[in-house]
Amino acid sequence: MTKKGLTFSVFIFLLLNNLLETAAQMFFKKAAISQEHFNISQGADILVFVGHMITCPFLWFAFLAVFFIFTNWSAILSKIDLSIAVPIASLSYVLVTLAALVFFHEQISTLRWIGILVILAGVSLVSTSSSKREA
Amino acid sequence: MHENYLLIISLIISASVCDTVNQLCLKTSINTINMDVSNFKKALILIWKIARMPLAWVALIFSSLSLFLWLYVLTKSQLSFAYALDSIHFVFIAFASSLILKEKVGLKRWVGTLLIILGIVLVSLTG
Repeated sequence: MTKKGLTFSVFIFLLLNNLLETAAQMFFKKAAISQEHFNISQGADILVFVGHMITCPFLWFAFLAVFFIFTNWSAILSKIDLSIAVPIASLSYVLVTLAALVFFHEQISTLRWIGILVILAGVSLVSTSSSKREA
Repeated sequence: MHENYLLIISLIISASVCDTVNQLCLKTSINTINMDVSNFKKALILIWKIARMPLAWVALIFSSLSLFLWLYVLTKSQLSFAYALDSIHFVFIAFASSLILKEKVGLKRWVGTLLIILGIVLVSLTG
C-alpha cells in the first residue's frame, strides 16, 4: 500500500487530532479536580474512586474526545506514514502545557518548558526512525 | 518540592507500565492477524477479529488500569508536569519492543529515547 506525503487536508486533520488530545487531557484533569482531596488509603477506596470518576460527566466528555481521536487517527494513518504523523501529533505536548497554563493557571518554569521541548525532539527522532520494512 | 512527589512519580511510572503492557498485548494480537486496513468496513472487521482474542481483553484491562491510575495522578499533580512525565512510556515501549517483540531498534531511535529521558529528568526537577 503506497502512501502519499503530507497534504494540506491531512495536516488539518492532524491539527484537529492535537486539539482533541488537548481537550481530552483537559477533561481528564477537570474530572480529577472534582476529587482533588480524595486519598486512596485502603483497597476499598479504589472502587470508591473509580465510582466517583465514572459518574463524573467530564470523564465521559474525555471518552468522547478519545473516540474521535481514535477515528481521526485511523483516518490519518491510512493517508500518511506514522513517521510523519507522530512528530506533528507530538505538538500536543506544547498544546497541553499551554492549556494547563491558560485554563488551570499552572505555573510553568523555563526549565519545564526546556524539558518539554527536549521530549518533543526525542519523540520526533524516535518516530522518524522507523525500519525500512513495511509495517 | 511537592509533598506527594514520590507518590506521583511512582503512579505515573505505573500508569506508563500498564500502558506499555496494553500496547504489547494489542500489537501481539494485531501481528497475528496481518490484515490491510484500507477502508472503514475493513477497520470494523479488524476490530471484530481483535475483540475475539483473549490477549486483546488483557490489553483492555491494562488500558483501564492505566486510565484510573492517570486520573488519580491528576488529582494530585499539575497537568503540565504529569503529561510531560508520561512520555516515559515511549522509553518503556522502545525497550519492550526490542526485548520482547524482537523489533530492531536503531541508533536514531535510541538517541531519541535518550533525549526523552533527558527531557523527563529536566521536567521532574520542576515538580
